[in-house]
Amino acid sequence: MIHKFSVRTAGAAEPDVERAGRDLGLPDLEIWHDYYIQFATEPGAEGIAAVCDALHGPLGKVTVADVALAEGEVQVAYRRGVVDNESDSLVAMCAALGLDAVAGKMATSYKSSSPKLAEIIRATRFNQTIEELHETEPRYETLMPSGHYEPARYYDLTKLSDDELAELGKAEGRNLSLAQMRHIRGIQEQLGAESVTDVLFEALDARWSDHCAHTTWKSLGSLLGRLVAASKDTQNPNILSMFHDNAGVWDFYDDHAIAVKAETHNGPSAISAYFGQLTKLGGVLRDILGTGLVADPIGSFEYTALGVPETPAPIAGRPAPKQIASDTIRAIKEYGNTFGVPMTYSHMTFHPAYRAKPFALGGSIGIMPTSAAQPGQPQPGDLVVLIGGLTGNEGMHGASASSAGSTMDVTSVQIGAPLEQVKFRKALVDLRDAGCLRALTDVGGAGLNSAVGEIGDPGGVWINTALVPLKTSALPMWRILLSESQERMLLAIPPAQYAEASRILKRHQVRTTAIGRFTDTGRYTVFHQPALAEADVLERAEPGEFGELGFDVPYELLDFDIPRVETGPVPAISTPAPSWPSMAVDEIGKLLEQVVADAEVASQHYADSQYDSTVQGNTFYGPQYGDQHRVSTGYWAGTPVDGSRAAAVLSTAFNPWLFDVHPVDALRQMFVDVVAGQVLAGVALNDICLTDNFYTPHLAENWQEWLVGMVDELAALVRHFGVPVISGKDSSAGSTATDEGVVSVPPAVFLTALGKAPDAAGLTPEQWTGAGSVLALIGPRTPSPVATVAGRLLGISEGPLDAVDLSTVDAYLAALASSRGSFRSATRIGPGGVAAGLVKGALASGLGVELNPEAAQAELLFAEHRAGALVELDEAALAALPEALNSVVLGRLVDETGVRVAGTELLTPAVADRWSGSFTARIS
Amino acid sequence: MKPTVNVLYLPGTNCQDETLRAFRDVGAEPRLRFVADVLDGSERLDDADILCVPGGFSFGDHLGGGSVASLLLKTRLADQFNACLTRPLLGICNGFQIALRAGCFGEGVALKVNAAGTFRNEPHARHVVEPGNESPWLTGLSGQTLAFPFAHGEGRFSHLPEATEGWQAALRYADGSELDGSQGGIAGITSADGLAFGLMNHPERAMNDEIRLAFFENGVRAAA
Repeated sequence: MIHKFSVRTAGAAEPDVERAGRDLGLPDLEIWHDYYIQFATEPGAEGIAAVCDALHGPLGKVTVADVALAEGEVQVAYRRGVVDNESDSLVAMCAALGLDAVAGKMATSYKSSSPKLAEIIRATRFNQTIEELHETEPRYETLMPSGHYEPARYYDLTKLSDDELAELGKAEGRNLSLAQMRHIRGIQEQLGAESVTDVLFEALDARWSDHCAHTTWKSLGSLLGRLVAASKDTQNPNILSMFHDNAGVWDFYDDHAIAVKAETHNGPSAISAYFGQLTKLGGVLRDILGTGLVADPIGSFEYTALGVPETPAPIAGRPAPKQIASDTIRAIKEYGNTFGVPMTYSHMTFHPAYRAKPFALGGSIGIMPTSAAQPGQPQPGDLVVLIGGLTGNEGMHGASASSAGSTMDVTSVQIGAPLEQVKFRKALVDLRDAGCLRALTDVGGAGLNSAVGEIGDPGGVWINTALVPLKTSALPMWRILLSESQERMLLAIPPAQYAEASRILKRHQVRTTAIGRFTDTGRYTVFHQPALAEADVLERAEPGEFGELGFDVPYELLDFDIPRVETGPVPAISTPAPSWPSMAVDEIGKLLEQVVADAEVASQHYADSQYDSTVQGNTFYGPQYGDQHRVSTGYWAGTPVDGSRAAAVLSTAFNPWLFDVHPVDALRQMFVDVVAGQVLAGVALNDICLTDNFYTPHLAENWQEWLVGMVDELAALVRHFGVPVISGKDSSAGSTATDEGVVSVPPAVFLTALGKAPDAAGLTPEQWTGAGSVLALIGPRTPSPVATVAGRLLGISEGPLDAVDLSTVDAYLAALASSRGSFRSATRIGPGGVAAGLVKGALASGLGVELNPEAAQAELLFAEHRAGALVELDEAALAALPEALNSVVLGRLVDETGVRVAGTELLTPAVADRWSGSFTARIS
Repeated sequence: MKPTVNVLYLPGTNCQDETLRAFRDVGAEPRLRFVADVLDGSERLDDADILCVPGGFSFGDHLGGGSVASLLLKTRLADQFNACLTRPLLGICNGFQIALRAGCFGEGVALKVNAAGTFRNEPHARHVVEPGNESPWLTGLSGQTLAFPFAHGEGRFSHLPEATEGWQAALRYADGSELDGSQGGIAGITSADGLAFGLMNHPERAMNDEIRLAFFENGVRAAA
């Protein structure tokens, strides 16, 4: 029997409800949380009253039982079998009350006298991909997830023509090419089998997808190999693990190492920004946990580029940029805060090229003992243990569909449930410390197929899909294998350690199932045998009768050679270099008002103030600074080892407008930007490593040339500076067919720098310290207005990017490292140039600056010198600055807040208001 | 002999490491108490000098902040939890929500959704220790202003007008630091007897050791 419990705040609406009512134009809006609970035995009136009492809390709530949805009310609930994260908590609550509940479900009901209620809710609070909307009370026969098992389908490929093979390769949402289907036919022939199954098709579709196999990069000439070779050539002793694990690992201090990784969830975020962004963060945190023999996440970072908020989605039914923006904030808040990892950096960019598919990047760093830095190797006989969340019918073809840039369907979206992951986070650390783990990996893109297939390669592995705990009562074998249900990890545990491992996992309340064994057969074997119980798996290394066999194939047959694609040289661009216009001081003031309102410059405190930045108690610096106003820092620093002041330093560089102009030159500018920023913060050059995240458009002109050009440029820069890339991801599906034609992102790469410093106290602060100091601009110049915030506002869109001479940068970095200690404070020059830096410096500190009259030039104030910095120092230090710093004095700090030049106040109240309020006004 | 501290670990707890560190740094012997172990009887909640319920999102905060966890304390673990109320008890953030819902501070009090309707993060929120509250957790701190991180979404303290018996104000937000809209600017309370101390914000995360450890030092001294 199922009972419904509905809860809302009594009396005046809570602030979140009041705000929702205001936003939706429904001043009388009521929001009810509806909890459906299925009981094994009837709870009776007393039991129902107890549940009501438990749900309505200590003060000011109304709870009613079994009240059906009334006319004019609207309810939104997740679709059946997709997810109900609250179910376990409802069951736990009932157990505490002595009631026997078996399942729960949550929904949200909206009530208002407005006749437009349903229309408004449908348009603003409903995602048809994963939810259903009810205007009458839904009837549930059961809340237990339903589903059915479909046997595998068998195909004799030797009897199919090429046309039939090609058609079969694309059937059921697969993306297998004719060449790949021929390869599978070859597998059938080599096995001497009468047929192969759709389970094998699906497994190989995922295994050979761009997401898992990096086919695009391989086809263009081993692009990853070029980066790895360059990074190896640096011979940097800090590299502990590079591109052969879930994350790169960088040596730290005190026998510890730091894992770093960033990845993207661009495709899912275009369909459901909430779940796409939720799982981007969850996924990368899981990558960190699955690095070596467990790294514990100590910091998250995220970046999202999306369309202009005031514009619609270019595909009907897809969320508009403004919706993506608000869903992003909600998702990052809910996953990051719940998971308990401090947010180190977050930023949102509005750029029209990302209106069809956003750039949804999530990253994390994690700490581990150096002894755990290398990935483990399963041994024959080790147990294949699946832990964490249930497996459901979600994320199907996520890897292959997103790789192909194809239209993704309902089940391509993964659903996040952070609680599951919080539970196993510390359990994994405990398992590591107890010596229970031989190896592990996360279950992410392409699901168990990728996790089991990769960790079992080349030794061998078998799993029984009938043992996989499901959200639904049953699923076809291939769906169990491909499901991208989140919050799962795969462990290799020696049988002798299984009892201790089980004890640890049980106390952390982590669902644990042994689903197979590692072998020495060199074969990847997947079957569905309900008669083979978990106890049998624990007792014996051999599976016995397979039951229904999905496939049993030697790993050596699963490799598919990717045809090489030849590319030409990077396109030549020859447009004349524009110059900055001559501007009077009042014109500069007006331009500044617009510059500070640009999302690249404006405060994003509305978003970042919702992300926990201090959990774990190790945040030493960032992600904001300022006594008066909160301004984003140029780097974040944390002290993750107990009792040590050694700091991990994190910073990023990305600017899509630069990549719009010339991706290769843009990459060089971003590289020197992020490296110089680390040196400015106080990190030695050889203590910096990078991660790259390429996002390229597969249908745009010359995209392959640009991609190859960027990779080669990155490799050259790595060798030149001795700064290795130790982790990275490539997404090559940045073109999307839309209602208005193909929309492509610019070929681009996001760079994240991880550095280390022996003492956090020695890092450079950014807040101005006091009146009387000199402010100076230092660093190599990139004076072009092209791709700057001010240049865009002035309509300057054509022209080359500034060349950056590497020997000049070398000299600058050496001088910077030796002079940094003489700075009272220093900040990177970012979007908006010196002018934006001055405004933010004044707003953060409450101090002011009197600029020299000659500083009143557009070029000096608005150019964005990528490697440059704004430094505060005293006269003596100024006189001692090395020539290679290329310093120019801008003015002096004064007590009265403001930015004044030639008697004119540039930091007007309007400038301050637009800096602090523009971002919020555009997305909230 | 070092005073012992049981730090309750629930599914979704995520502030246990910094909480353990703070108790260790003031000379106590803290240990995690997994609720699963307590429920199956292999460990106890009440076998330490102090009980601390740290921050996080127990049970995902699915049914309201601290809802399911507090229910466990009031039902299946009631005997052990009641025994803990005779000694110092500290609830931080989600732990405060749990302690409050479990009845540590009497009836008619609540922690509601922040006035902004969302989670707020402020690393340097300033709190003034309430003069006149003689709780052992606050010894020697009367009237002092302490800055430490604010990071919560459901911390707007509210009480019915008549509900004044079971609790005392312990901390109030200094001007400009009140981000949750709490009634009377209250940022933390103690039980009427002063043994239980609940606060939404996070002294255990402060970078300044003096501030980070002030309450912990007091609590451990009282238990010694």
